[in-house]
Amino acid sequence: MSALTATPKRARRDSDGLRPDRPWLGTDRRHSLTGWGFLLPAAVLIVLVSFVPMIQAFILSLQTGRGTQLDFADPLWYNYQRLFGDEIFKQTVGNTFIYLIIQVPIMLILAMVLANLLNNPNLRFKAFWRTAIFLPCAVSLVSYSLVFRTMFANDGFVNDFLAAFGAEPVNWLGEADTARFVLILGLLWRWTGFNMIFFLAGLQNIDRSTIEAARMDGANALQTFWRVTVPQLRPIILLTAIMSTNGTLQLFDESWALTRGGPAYASMSMSHYLYEVSFQRNPNFGYGAALAYVILVLVAVLAFIQLRVGDKRD
Amino acid sequence: MKRMTKVTTAIAMALPLALVMSGCSGSTETPGGGDDNTLTVWAWDPTFNIYALQEAEKIYQADHPDFKLDIVETPWDDLQTKLTTLAQSQETSELPDIFLMQNNAFQKNVINYPDLFTDFSDSDVDFSTFPEAVADYSTVDDVNYGLPFDSGTAIQALRTDVLAEAGYTVADFTDITWDDFVTKAKDVLATTGKPLLSGQAGSSDMIMMMLQSAGASLFDGDGKPTIADNDALLAAINTYIELVDDGIFVEVNSWDEYIGTFVNGSVAGTIQGVWIVGSIQTAADQAGNWAITDLPKLDGVSGATNYSANGGSSWAVSSNANAELAQDFLASTFAGSTELYDTILPKSGAVANWSPAGDSDVYSQPSEFFGGQAIFADVVAFGADVPSNNTGAYYYEARDAVSAAITKIIGGADPKDALDEAQSTVEFAMG
Repeated sequence: MSALTATPKRARRDSDGLRPDRPWLGTDRRHSLTGWGFLLPAAVLIVLVSFVPMIQAFILSLQTGRGTQLDFADPLWYNYQRLFGDEIFKQTVGNTFIYLIIQVPIMLILAMVLANLLNNPNLRFKAFWRTAIFLPCAVSLVSYSLVFRTMFANDGFVNDFLAAFGAEPVNWLGEADTARFVLILGLLWRWTGFNMIFFLAGLQNIDRSTIEAARMDGANALQTFWRVTVPQLRPIILLTAIMSTNGTLQLFDESWALTRGGPAYASMSMSHYLYEVSFQRNPNFGYGAALAYVILVLVAVLAFIQLRVGDKRD
Repeated sequence: MKRMTKVTTAIAMALPLALVMSGCSGSTETPGGGDDNTLTVWAWDPTFNIYALQEAEKIYQADHPDFKLDIVETPWDDLQTKLTTLAQSQETSELPDIFLMQNNAFQKNVINYPDLFTDFSDSDVDFSTFPEAVADYSTVDDVNYGLPFDSGTAIQALRTDVLAEAGYTVADFTDITWDDFVTKAKDVLATTGKPLLSGQAGSSDMIMMMLQSAGASLFDGDGKPTIADNDALLAAINTYIELVDDGIFVEVNSWDEYIGTFVNGSVAGTIQGVWIVGSIQTAADQAGNWAITDLPKLDGVSGATNYSANGGSSWAVSSNANAELAQDFLASTFAGSTELYDTILPKSGAVANWSPAGDSDVYSQPSEFFGGQAIFADVVAFGADVPSNNTGAYYYEARDAVSAAITKIIGGADPKDALDEAQSTVEFAMG
């Protein structure tokens, strides 16, 4: 046999598939185990603190009963079946989706426009504008809800303002439509700045040459914004859309502090109803857990749809 | 230099950890069953309930010098949530010795969480000295779980000067029917421009008081909801709508606005539990111009009376308590001391449910604010005639359902349909 035709020496493996000529705890494996070793405490913590309670909540949602007398329901999905017949729950789902469909798009578009305006290198007092628009986010949810509630009271600031112009005072918090309107207004005021910061950051990553090229091709400001800037902001739009959807579906503080569920449940959100079922009425924690899971499913489904539509990465 | 950096780094890492650990020290509340001579109490309202507790402590200390009362101020909403949380997580060792509870919530809590309470069967308290209607709130299966404290007896408070402008006196509004009231109130409104009543929009307080005045309830004796085919409820709602439509009853959106209506004089009266007297008296410029009387009765409803109640609370002894001491304390003070009730009445307006207290002279003293009327003697007399009502565990659900129905009816829905919907909501909530 010559060196040219000799078969290469294969690695010898024993019956366990290990390579006896290399130590078991070789460099690769050691690196791998070290990595796992560092990850393990955090992973265990997350499993114990997040995932185990989620499984417990699911088991709770299969039980029914008042107070501490909880027993497995018969049939097991009794709570889920029950919530389909719950008129108030359906009302709260409707309310929350109204907030989602009306508030989120307006807020995101407004945030984008504001970010674009603030990104203008010729703008004066930029720091002031950015702070002023972001400041509402630093305010506590309960504080601003209570202030809005006082402002829109029957004898509040807004009605006084309207009266100064000779208009009729409006019963803002006493009618279903206006109560929801006030809540949406509050949400817009509070969260636009937050999303604007994300868009500002995204705009920093856009190459100015693409905008200049569009300008040179004769596009006006609106066309530049819509055709050049927005498509490049796509990942940020996706991020803020998913975050906003998640936040709006889980809305609680405004429903609780601003409108207290509004006139006859007209502005109550799903989470607020969950709280009511669990703590204010005769406590039925099994049913509350089932409501929580429905919210989870809704958020997951919407997030999935948004990822499908929005994420064009390979 | 390297060693210094290492030491600095070590301290920098240890310091936040130490701070966090110190922050995680034990709870700041003292649970019950602790020191033999100290009782912990959870109650709300420093000017009313807590003030009464402090006076009771002084009276008990006269015979028991080592006694101490540890009062923790806890608003009712927080207290209810705490009780639910503790009972649900079975941490009854965190309960105080005594806690105050709204009468309307008693049934719900005793039925759902019997582990929270120690009943009064082993105590010295003579429950026959309390009106049956009030003791019934905290009685489940003939066992007493609560000691009645302040009375929620309802009164009609009116501005005598405004009535005089229209040519009326308080006597014209005493022992009348609602039809009569509407006629006279419209007259007052036309002459003086002031409505006689106000309340929170969507709140069912007014209607509940009217309902109870006719001896009717939202539940029957077996605990089934009686919202749909309830003639008294329908009569009450129709009366309420008439009051609102005629402008006699002004609806506002929050509790503070409601208090503001009669304190700043835009409304010339109110119908509420006697505890509203404290708020009325904050309008010092109206002193001498108020009087109280009983409620109008519902027309066309059998069993209608001129007396009702709204609110009121009772003391409960927890399962984690030094039961003997707690029950002895309550029996000697709130169920045994006329001196206590005499002391607290003038400052807080706490009208006793305890009958012997009502015989005291303090009750017959005239009140300057109310034009020289001995209002508390009148209220105790009203209290004796208040009809009982059935609350049951689902009372708050029923009240909320009726509130929602009222809002819809005011918005134009058919009363019968709205009430049927309310009934099915409550039946759904009952599982």
